Amino acid sequence: MKDPDAIFAPTFRRRGRSSMGWVAAWVCAWVLPHVCRGSELRFPPPDFESGYQMPVTDYPAARGQWLEWMDVGVLIVALGWATWLAFGRRSRRGVTALSMFSLLYFGFYREGCICAIGSVQNVALALGSRDYALPVGVGVFFAAPLLVALFFGRTFCAAVCPHGALQDLVLVKPVTLPKWLESGLGILPFIYLGAGVTFAATGAAFVICRFDPFVPLFRLSGGMGMVLTGGVLLALGLFVGRPYCRFLCPYGALLKVASALSKWRIRVTPDVCTQCRLCPESCPFGVIQEPDSGLTRPRDLAVARRGLVWALAALPLVIAVSAGGGWLFGRVAAQWHPTVALAEDYARQLPPEAVAQLPNPDRLALGRAERQAKELLPRAMELRRQFRTAGLWFGIWTGLVIGIKLISIGMVRRRSEFLPDRTACFACARCFASCPQERIRLGWTPMPEAVGAHLPVHGSNPLPEGKPGGCGCGGGGR
Amino acid sequence: MNQQPGLSRRGFLSRAAAGGVVAGWSTQGARAAVQPASAENPWRYDVDQLRKVDPALIRFEPVRQFPVGHAAARRVVFGRHGRLFVAAGKSVLALGPEGQRESAWDVGEQVRCLRVDDAGAVWIGVKDRVLVFDANGERTARWDAFAGKAYLTGLTVTERDVWVADSGNRVVYRCDRKGRLELRLGERSADRKVPGLVLPSPFLDIEAGADGLLRVNNAGRHRVEVYTRDGDLEQSWGRPGVAIDSFCGCCNPIGLALLPDGRCLTAEKGLPRVKVYSAAGEFESVVAGPASFAAVGSAEREQTVAETAHDGLDVAVDGEGRIAVLDLVGGTLHLFRSKA
Amino acid sequence: MSASGTPMDPNTRREFLRNGLRVAGLTGAGVAVGVLTHHTASADTVWQIDPRKCLNCSRCATQCVLEQSAVKCVNWFPICGYCDLCTGYFEPQPNGLNTGAENQLCPTSAILRKFVEDPYFEYTIDESLCIGCAKCVEGCRLFGNGSFHLQVRHDRCVNCNECAIAKSCPGDAFYRAPAHDPYFHFTA
Repeated sequence: MKDPDAIFAPTFRRRGRSSMGWVAAWVCAWVLPHVCRGSELRFPPPDFESGYQMPVTDYPAARGQWLEWMDVGVLIVALGWATWLAFGRRSRRGVTALSMFSLLYFGFYREGCICAIGSVQNVALALGSRDYALPVGVGVFFAAPLLVALFFGRTFCAAVCPHGALQDLVLVKPVTLPKWLESGLGILPFIYLGAGVTFAATGAAFVICRFDPFVPLFRLSGGMGMVLTGGVLLALGLFVGRPYCRFLCPYGALLKVASALSKWRIRVTPDVCTQCRLCPESCPFGVIQEPDSGLTRPRDLAVARRGLVWALAALPLVIAVSAGGGWLFGRVAAQWHPTVALAEDYARQLPPEAVAQLPNPDRLALGRAERQAKELLPRAMELRRQFRTAGLWFGIWTGLVIGIKLISIGMVRRRSEFLPDRTACFACARCFASCPQERIRLGWTPMPEAVGAHLPVHGSNPLPEGKPGGCGCGGGGR
Repeated sequence: MNQQPGLSRRGFLSRAAAGGVVAGWSTQGARAAVQPASAENPWRYDVDQLRKVDPALIRFEPVRQFPVGHAAARRVVFGRHGRLFVAAGKSVLALGPEGQRESAWDVGEQVRCLRVDDAGAVWIGVKDRVLVFDANGERTARWDAFAGKAYLTGLTVTERDVWVADSGNRVVYRCDRKGRLELRLGERSADRKVPGLVLPSPFLDIEAGADGLLRVNNAGRHRVEVYTRDGDLEQSWGRPGVAIDSFCGCCNPIGLALLPDGRCLTAEKGLPRVKVYSAAGEFESVVAGPASFAAVGSAEREQTVAETAHDGLDVAVDGEGRIAVLDLVGGTLHLFRSKA
Repeated sequence: MSASGTPMDPNTRREFLRNGLRVAGLTGAGVAVGVLTHHTASADTVWQIDPRKCLNCSRCATQCVLEQSAVKCVNWFPICGYCDLCTGYFEPQPNGLNTGAENQLCPTSAILRKFVEDPYFEYTIDESLCIGCAKCVEGCRLFGNGSFHLQVRHDRCVNCNECAIAKSCPGDAFYRAPAHDPYFHFTA
């Protein structure tokens, strides 16, 4: 007897001609049982008499899971390699070569997706939503560069991130930005990070992805606005080193925090800093800091202390004001969630003639709202509440970022050699070659006799740190 | 002075404030720029004009309209004493003339077609079986004779015969009242000049007239075919087109009913409309156009793909010429009568 | 060692703090992993359209981040009626049932009509021409069986974190399908 549910089941014939044939056949093997189970199709296929074979609908497979794992593998190998190139080989050429590979692989081959920058939002959404499951690969993309940064600083930025590689490629004539501008723009990544997490955790939008300036270039396709933004940023990048990385990248903000705790750091000199003042010029990002004089006049110290007290006292106020702003922002931001936007349109109770004039797709959406009003409206209210809370946290975060910035402006750090700011250094390895010590190490200049001994030393603490990687650890534990 | 040359807290604050204003202003601009493009659909499948019917052609008026009270109402027929029987899911509902539900009984299978004979017996077609119930809802017979891809969608009962329309096999069976298969009708045959039934979707309906002829809707050919009791194609009428006198879309009409005077009612899907044709197949008038069934044929609703086959209308006529139209999507019954 | 007389060298103190915070950061990461284990999926997911919810609004043609939308029309032959008068192929009021451009509904002539046998015709989609506007889908669904439907084609889709079409879909028809089974299955 016939299976009663298979009455109208079409007869599939495997067509082996195309390379996708086996995929199609496999899909059929999946589709047919699904179709026939529990229901019957009411569409009798024609009784062809000419021997016509019904074509099999082609279903190109999605990117294979093993390729996703390959991405993760490439990331981990590239991270390790970049770290070795920056710390072990100290090779600018190697870093450049690896960054070009990353640009090709993660940029043009993977088209900027999967990327660590965007993964922040996936993690936020996984923490904020009960329904969303974080793919393990994305989790690795989020965590691996941060873990590396906890020990070695931002080697991810050096040669693994395609965004950084692209901007490094176009950098031809770096200019030094005024300190205030550099410092002020430096808080933008933290605020952008807060906003990105806020929108992602509430399920409203992946703003970091939507406003990614370079992905349209990697895809060679995208909205006019974003293509232009990418073009402008690249044009700016001719003169300002890595503008996106320094002043926007939200993942860079996280890397900054992680690299502040890094166990080892990039040092310009492989040996002893002779304070020759050659290296700061070599850094297009202006992150190499001079040693301090070690001498502070009491009057200056008093002024600095008073400023610090004021900044500390203002911190709660700044946070409170910012939190209030965030609360209000949450109300507005809720409209970015499609569900909330639709519910608001629906609740506005437009008269039928106004609805008739709406552009067609919006009218269709209102029709859906009408049918689903019972679920839609409570859901929108719930989302609005979530946005209020998220906005509040976003405000507190922003206040904290601004407050910490204000406090840190007057801070004095003791340095006895020319060192890159560990939170801002991209480990690009450009500065190494400017150091005479490095040139001697590489054998580019002949070894003079006892170089360190003859040159004047400005700092009062001569050479507190030894070899790269020592970083003062040996002096701890007193 | 401060330790970091060129950067004082005060200077930083004032510049940051200015920067904040600029940033706020530019985000406003960005916000405006990213609003989703909501242009009118430039590729809209536009049938608005086709949904309009010249009011002068509508020679019937609505009498009553009421919900069936079941989400899956599919077919409607008149019973005795003005009662209405509706096939809805796996049940048959009996409704009073005012639409009040009098009884409902579960058949256990999706009811595809039904008919009430003069004795009050209810004949029901499920997928590949015919079930007969007496007026009290007791099953009195069950025919399992229909083999192959049987998918029964039409049923009509005369004094001598029971006609069964099978969409799956694209054929109409003539059985005697005991269920013995006597004749297959409508299959392609060069000898008898029968072109064959074309059914992209299962809407084969049949209607036996007082003249002894059987009307069959050959939906894929956009026409109604008239067969003798012996299976000879006597006549066929109808042509494709969106004009009011034609049958629209890929496959229409989907339902038939005969007025007592022999005129034929047709029900269409896509552009839901019920029209009257003379016994010879001349277009006469309109019972109701798409405006009466706003839900049908409009994209502004959710539907399952499988349900697409259930879009549309079913139509029934009783002995006094009252017309019942079942709106499958809205689940409502509309009663019409002639304006005259 | 430092020659300064302070009880604890600032550098050392800073280093001590740094080490402590790093351990704290690693611990935090561990906790986060623990929390997220209930929120992770080993298999990846991709975007897909539920044809039952699709309202054929044409935004798939315009909103995709790709120049050529990753959404295409697909004909699911098992429910295709093979109609001579295909309402997905022909204008609502065609001059004749032939392949003349003026009779075709598709703005890019992406549907191919091929005679099979009387009275059946086969309709296939040329995906290199299809823009995903859903005009034929609406025509097929309105009058016919709905065998034309839109699907995200995974040889084209770049699987954005946030699908620009999904965001503006008036029917909320986009969902995440498992990557190993990325197409919609017709079930009732």
